[in-house]
Amino acid sequence: MSAEEKTRILILDDEPIVCKRLKPAFEKLGYEVEIFTSSSDAMARIKEQDFDIVITDLKMEGVDGMEFLSAVKERSPATEVIVITGFATMETAKESFQKGVFDFVAKPFKISEIREVVKKAEKKKKEAGG
Amino acid sequence: MGAFERIRDKLTFWRSKKDPSSFAVLFDRFQTVLKRNNEILEIMADMGDKLGGDYVFDRQYIIDITHRLNDQVYKIIYDLNMLSSQKYVDLYHAYERIHSQIQAELEGKIAYADERLVIDFEDITQDDIASVGNKNASLGEIKNVLKLSTPDGFVLTTKAFYDFLVQNGIDELLENMNIDLERDGSALEALSREVRDKILNGNIPAQVAREVRNHVSAFRSKFKKEKIFFAVRSSAIEEDAEHSFAGQYESFLNVPDDKLLEYYKKVIASTYSVRAWGYRLQKGFYEHEISMAVGCQLMVKPRCSGVLYTMDPISGENDTMVMSATWGLGVPVVSGETPVDRYHVSRDAPYVVKHMNVVHKSEMLVAKEGGGTETIEVPEDLQHKPCLTSDEINHLAHVAMLLERYYKRPQDIEWAIDEEGELIILQSRPLKVQLGYSGEFCMLPDITKGQGIIFEGRGDVVQRGVACGTAFVIRSDEDIEKVPFGSIVIARHTSPKLTKAIRKALAILTDIGSPTGHMATVAREFRVPTIVNTGIATRLIRTGEEITVDATQNIVYAGKLKELCLYELTQDEVFEESYEYRLLRRILRKVAPLNLVDPHDEKFKPKGCQTYHDIVRFVHEKAVDELIHIGEKSSKWLSSGLRRLDLDIPLGVSVLDIGGGVDESAEGNLIDANLVRSIPMKAFLKGLCHEGLWGSEPVSVDLGSFMSSLTRTFSTSVATPEQVGKNLVVLSKEYMNMSLRLGYHFNIIDVYISENVNDNYAYFRFLGGVTEITRRSRRARFIANILEQHDFRVEIRGDLVIGRLKKLSKKEMEKRVILLGGLVAYTRQLDVLMKHDEHVNHYEEEFKKRIGELLN
Repeated sequence: MSAEEKTRILILDDEPIVCKRLKPAFEKLGYEVEIFTSSSDAMARIKEQDFDIVITDLKMEGVDGMEFLSAVKERSPATEVIVITGFATMETAKESFQKGVFDFVAKPFKISEIREVVKKAEKKKKEAGG
Repeated sequence: MGAFERIRDKLTFWRSKKDPSSFAVLFDRFQTVLKRNNEILEIMADMGDKLGGDYVFDRQYIIDITHRLNDQVYKIIYDLNMLSSQKYVDLYHAYERIHSQIQAELEGKIAYADERLVIDFEDITQDDIASVGNKNASLGEIKNVLKLSTPDGFVLTTKAFYDFLVQNGIDELLENMNIDLERDGSALEALSREVRDKILNGNIPAQVAREVRNHVSAFRSKFKKEKIFFAVRSSAIEEDAEHSFAGQYESFLNVPDDKLLEYYKKVIASTYSVRAWGYRLQKGFYEHEISMAVGCQLMVKPRCSGVLYTMDPISGENDTMVMSATWGLGVPVVSGETPVDRYHVSRDAPYVVKHMNVVHKSEMLVAKEGGGTETIEVPEDLQHKPCLTSDEINHLAHVAMLLERYYKRPQDIEWAIDEEGELIILQSRPLKVQLGYSGEFCMLPDITKGQGIIFEGRGDVVQRGVACGTAFVIRSDEDIEKVPFGSIVIARHTSPKLTKAIRKALAILTDIGSPTGHMATVAREFRVPTIVNTGIATRLIRTGEEITVDATQNIVYAGKLKELCLYELTQDEVFEESYEYRLLRRILRKVAPLNLVDPHDEKFKPKGCQTYHDIVRFVHEKAVDELIHIGEKSSKWLSSGLRRLDLDIPLGVSVLDIGGGVDESAEGNLIDANLVRSIPMKAFLKGLCHEGLWGSEPVSVDLGSFMSSLTRTFSTSVATPEQVGKNLVVLSKEYMNMSLRLGYHFNIIDVYISENVNDNYAYFRFLGGVTEITRRSRRARFIANILEQHDFRVEIRGDLVIGRLKKLSKKEMEKRVILLGGLVAYTRQLDVLMKHDEHVNHYEEEFKKRIGELLN
């Protein structure tokens, strides 16, 4: 698998531990991973580069996760967004689904759980693309 | 709940003495205690699970879950006090104490629970880690638990460090620093210099200085010397745990006792060197996490010393350990500045030397007269001689493997052999090793292929991990004391008493038990791979058998699968270096360890509660006691609302149904036994009314002649209708509390059975009889034996027998209660028959024969 063919994942969570744990876990599986703890940095990055999959927290200081995922979808509708959050209320979940979120994972989660969701998102993208 | 409600509840309690429904109210509270007990154990298990490495969690999770835990623990104390009319208000103090320590952790303040300033090494174990630092705690554990030889001495604690910082105003300086040290290198340098100057010129708090003097003079008189020399070594919190911190802090050798405090300051000043500080920043440590304890060890005068790696970190050879050795002190080995002898030795007994490289050693470092060290010339005849004899190599290897097994990680061990030839362990810490595997997918399938499986997919994994070793099956409480270090412990059921063996165990398997029980929580705390509820472990595995437990895949293999263990030993553990991991673990230390193991211990008091787990254990025990007590009292004043149970046997029982105990279709004052819906009562009646237990004489044909004399004086239905009328049973769907007077003895049976394993318990009390005490105690022994064979914890006092049982599955609980029913029926007048000690055995066999078919 060459670098160009790799699935690109962006991870945004203001708690560094989440990024630190997810990055190596996905890199081991052959994904290309970029991590951000600041939503404004992430916002700037999506303007330069489209990602296949975006994993983002909903509740963060500064920019709202909801705002961020709207921006992602607006720029690149093909990007699949996976929401991770500890404040898993039905309302926010519903709202995020309306914005075209692919799936929703409640924190804390097992690495295998999010891995499965990412695989599904990848499959959906591939089917849609080809 | 407010004061008003509290008073109202209290009033209800007292008024209730005339109100039959009050028992229902109290029983309801009791059930609340059970429910909460379970919820708390679940929360603790959940937190423990997160340390297992499978989950991604953040700080918010720790805050949220701790909040939930606080809330539940407070409420369970409240519940117990409502149940017992405020008998245990002291528990609130215990709660406050623990709660404030946890809060301090969350807020980033180290909790100084331990007020000691100086602690002797003889009194230190791993539990003192917060006071003495990782390195000293581990040395204390090696000395006092593993009973290996380590230097004598004492530790100036983290509390002493903290007092020193406060006395000299350094704590304020650190708290108020307002620069981004991580990005601003020159600011770090300036601050480092300022802090170190303040420390070196600071005053030692008077109390600290006094205690150090006292310890020094004690050693002077013990060794009858005018001056004692010490090695003064750093031991920071978290140093040597997941982080190596190797060489970050300073240590000094051969310090004369009158200069001890001066060197103490030098060591703690090194905490703030640019190098150490920078390392911590790079690793993401917060300033409040840093605390330095200092070990003062009596100087060892070694003939030779060195370092041992239990695995070869460079070649990655799995089956070899590496020893380095030189004459005199070991510093040159650690620093690597001169060539030293090197031995490659097999990791398996009898520890064959595979390769040996003896070098020419011209110089050695020794302690200088009056203090400090000096390099001298090695005597001519020793220069080409190997430092270690083959006996010494063997002994060293053995001790090293003991340490690795105990700490479950490859070890980096500093050792010395003194002039008398005694091996002294100076330090042991985890060694990072990378195996020769490449790629993210390990060769696990290759490793395990073709290996015999004893069983797989049975039971619940409590703590993930892998271990191979020799099995030790526990059959009695005495066996728990006998568990050899490095065993795989196999037990019939989980029990708080088993926690004693956890430190010696490589892994634990039990037939029955709950994954959220007390023992499970402790197994997680110590990261001992554990599978409970396997159903068959004690039947399939024998003491002495070599097995491999894989508690990640839930498989138990026959034989030792060394590669599998090596794979586990060398897994990348970055996760355990994160702040969140450390925070959660520190909080769990104040939550999960169970210290109140034995209810008969005098420490079994609110005051003795050191963790939330202790509180919950205490509450559970006392809540059961309360309910039994209330059940006894109730029978005196309950008269209305009772119905009678219609049984085939001549026994009158009054029934109080507090919910779901009897089918709704039951009408009138007489209840058909078939309409009993209470799970425990149904089981109990099954045993009680079983043919051959109640219906016939408990007499064997072989003893016929002996027995005939008895039937003349006693008839089978000893109890008269007047006597039997007093029997009472309180029922609900899951519960029964029975007070039975049968002939000449008195039983209390209190049982709760539901689908929730953690709530289930049975309590059985048996007292009385008509014959003289010897025969009655024979019967007591008979009952105790039967109960013990069916997993009850049994106490005998004279002819009083108490049996307790907890946390079996519904099906297993039912079996035990059928047994209790049968036992009650069978033993009605057994004391009369117990003329000889041999009869105990005889009736045991007879009873087993008769009850047998019911239990299968």
